[in-house]
Amino acid sequence: MGARRAMRTRPVASAADIPLLDIDRVSMRFGSLVAVSDLDLDVPERQVVSLIGPDGAGKTTVCNCVSGICSPTSGSVRFHGHRLTQTFGPRVFWMAMGIGLLVGLLTAAAAVDVDRLWLAVVKRGMVLDEPFTFDTVRRRLRSYFRGELAIDQLAGKWRVVTADGRDVLAIRRDYADAVSLRNQLQAAVTARRAGPGTIPDASDMADAASPSQPQASLPDEVLDRLAAGKARVRIRGWAGLVAGWVLGAAGTIAIWKRGRRSPHAVARAGIARTFQQPRLFPEMTVLENVLVGLDRTIPGGAIALLLGTRGHRRGEEEARRRAQEALSLVGLEGDAERIAGGLSLAGRRRLEIARALATGATLILLDEPTAGLEAEEVDAVIDLIGQIKQRGSAVLVTGDSIDPLARISDRMAVLEQGVKIAEGSPAEMKRHRRVIEITTGVPS
Amino acid sequence: MAAAWKWISQRWEVVALALLAVAPLFVPALGGALGGQVTTLFIYCILALGLNVMVGYTGLLHLGIAAFFGIGAYVVAILTVPLFPFQIGWLAAAAVSIAVTAGVGFALGGPVLKLRGDALAIVTLAFGEVVKVTLRNLEQVTGGMKGLNPVPPPGAGVTVAGTDLGLAFAVDPRWFYYLALAALAGVVWAMRRLENSRLGRAWAAVREDEPAAAALGISATQVKLSAFAMSAAVAALAGCLYAATLSTTADPNAYDFNRSILVLCAVILGGLGSIPGTLLGVAILVGFDTVLIPAADSLIQQLSGAADRSSLLSLASWRLAIFGLALVLVMRYRPAGLIPSRRLAAEWGRGGR
Repeated sequence: MGARRAMRTRPVASAADIPLLDIDRVSMRFGSLVAVSDLDLDVPERQVVSLIGPDGAGKTTVCNCVSGICSPTSGSVRFHGHRLTQTFGPRVFWMAMGIGLLVGLLTAAAAVDVDRLWLAVVKRGMVLDEPFTFDTVRRRLRSYFRGELAIDQLAGKWRVVTADGRDVLAIRRDYADAVSLRNQLQAAVTARRAGPGTIPDASDMADAASPSQPQASLPDEVLDRLAAGKARVRIRGWAGLVAGWVLGAAGTIAIWKRGRRSPHAVARAGIARTFQQPRLFPEMTVLENVLVGLDRTIPGGAIALLLGTRGHRRGEEEARRRAQEALSLVGLEGDAERIAGGLSLAGRRRLEIARALATGATLILLDEPTAGLEAEEVDAVIDLIGQIKQRGSAVLVTGDSIDPLARISDRMAVLEQGVKIAEGSPAEMKRHRRVIEITTGVPS
Repeated sequence: MAAAWKWISQRWEVVALALLAVAPLFVPALGGALGGQVTTLFIYCILALGLNVMVGYTGLLHLGIAAFFGIGAYVVAILTVPLFPFQIGWLAAAAVSIAVTAGVGFALGGPVLKLRGDALAIVTLAFGEVVKVTLRNLEQVTGGMKGLNPVPPPGAGVTVAGTDLGLAFAVDPRWFYYLALAALAGVVWAMRRLENSRLGRAWAAVREDEPAAAALGISATQVKLSAFAMSAAVAALAGCLYAATLSTTADPNAYDFNRSILVLCAVILGGLGSIPGTLLGVAILVGFDTVLIPAADSLIQQLSGAADRSSLLSLASWRLAIFGLALVLVMRYRPAGLIPSRRLAAEWGRGGR
């Protein structure tokens, strides 16, 4: 998904002169060990290029760099002219913002004491028998963040409490008493907030105090505390929101950056690979192994497949048909229901190739597909590579000797200790002195 | 005869469902305390199937499943109890609860994706404890140690053909029995479907070889997140049923590490990644605990007479020892579980015992 997006946003040069795969001055260092240094290699479309070298020459490292398992220390790998890194687009931006907002809301909830907020907004309405509507919620929210005094009820008695319900300022038997007291006290607190020397506004007092009641008052330090409370809740809330937002967004971007050239994005762009030691899913059947390669072709997520939508069912049937096709190409059609772990080495290699083919990749990396096989099994694999080429995919194949691969390769390159020492047609490589020395182990 | 047996063993779930569905008609005890115990058993089965998505299918060790169970129970309670103004129907509340809990699972999954094995186990364990303590401390929202109650029975206020459903649930535990059984059947059906779908294959692929799956274009991130969310959603469904059955969320300690471990043990005992195995594991561990032991104890009491009250004579005080012994024996002789999944059976068969 990401890779496709990257393709759209990157500029595309004219298709004719860019090779399908362009390995450009790639070096890979592991600490002080240089596995590959300054490698240049092109794989044109519909061609077979083989990379030859003795064990430890860096062939597998090249495969890993191309398939995204490791990122090259320097240099670049381009496929269709793209680096296959995901670009920072609006999708990533909005994802970061969304996750940031979520984290921000969580930290803000903790900062403003969500427990007390719940008490003030949800529970107090129940006590006072108010309806639970958008308006009442908004009013109560505002009152909480302004630190206004409120009325609460406990054991049949009405209490004047602070917004968070922690401080009980007065208890009255009568509701009307409690309300008028609350209004008086609120006026006093508001006046205190306006400034230490200010006298409560006359109009404020007028609607608050009923003449028959004695003036309610609170000690100065309590008034100060209540007056300061408002600012504290607000500042804490905003600080929590902003801090959480920044942290969440930054963390999302950091994690996204690490996975920018991830193997799955590379695979989705159209590069499939096999491994030197076949890596199958040993507990699945042969057919299921190939179906994993076809995963992307089946539409629908968890909900669609639970409901068994038509699109999903059809995709699944189509995938099974194509999986069978891929299996018959490699000659495993009779073993579809066997457990993959029970296959022979040659069978495992073929299955891995079938699985890679099934992804519909335009470039297939085969890492030493002939290692450890008998002579006739090697021939079969070579024939298979020829068939892959005929089907229109390019192949980059590694091996440790010129011979079997020369039969189907369009070009060959030879690596020695991470350095490319020769490149050319199979015939040229067969005549190259140094190449003969390395691959046969006999100095000439 | 052989053909009939084959048919039965292939359609074990249909047979079991039919038997359990008619059981209350023939076993009157299911209308009493036993019915409540069996309902709890069903709920544990659902919870274990949810955990199985993480541990069995995707191979992620999860020690905090009880937290999702708890979140599910509390959300449904918050939305239905008379203490709060929401008071929506149980079905709608359950839907919201499942969605919310799946979201929480998703949110937990995000930051811990890179972790595997023991590191993930520790994070999920800590998450479970955090949720428990949070539930305890948010006293206004969750009622603290008192929990939230009374959770009205499902269908409260709904009248079908002259019967008040809420009243029916409150009077006859068989309603809960059938509700939990229907939910369990639905979850088993969904799990079977998932197992053999692209999602199930992707879970298994990530479990068996993550780099190989990535090389085929499977995003381990998405696959693991979906496992987290799915597991949380199923656990939440169990939580919704639990709160409805008890008509309270109970206190937060009901959702602690012990419950997570009990369910995990059941999954491992029965067979990781195997639906019948998981159900059998729960039936043995939880059923042994809640159904068999009380029954056996009352029998022992009768036989030995009221005079002898030695704790050595009560099975309840031996239960942990029996648990431990059973687990050791199973792990020694059937390491893939009592009913191993096809995939795990293949692996153990290949590796030799």
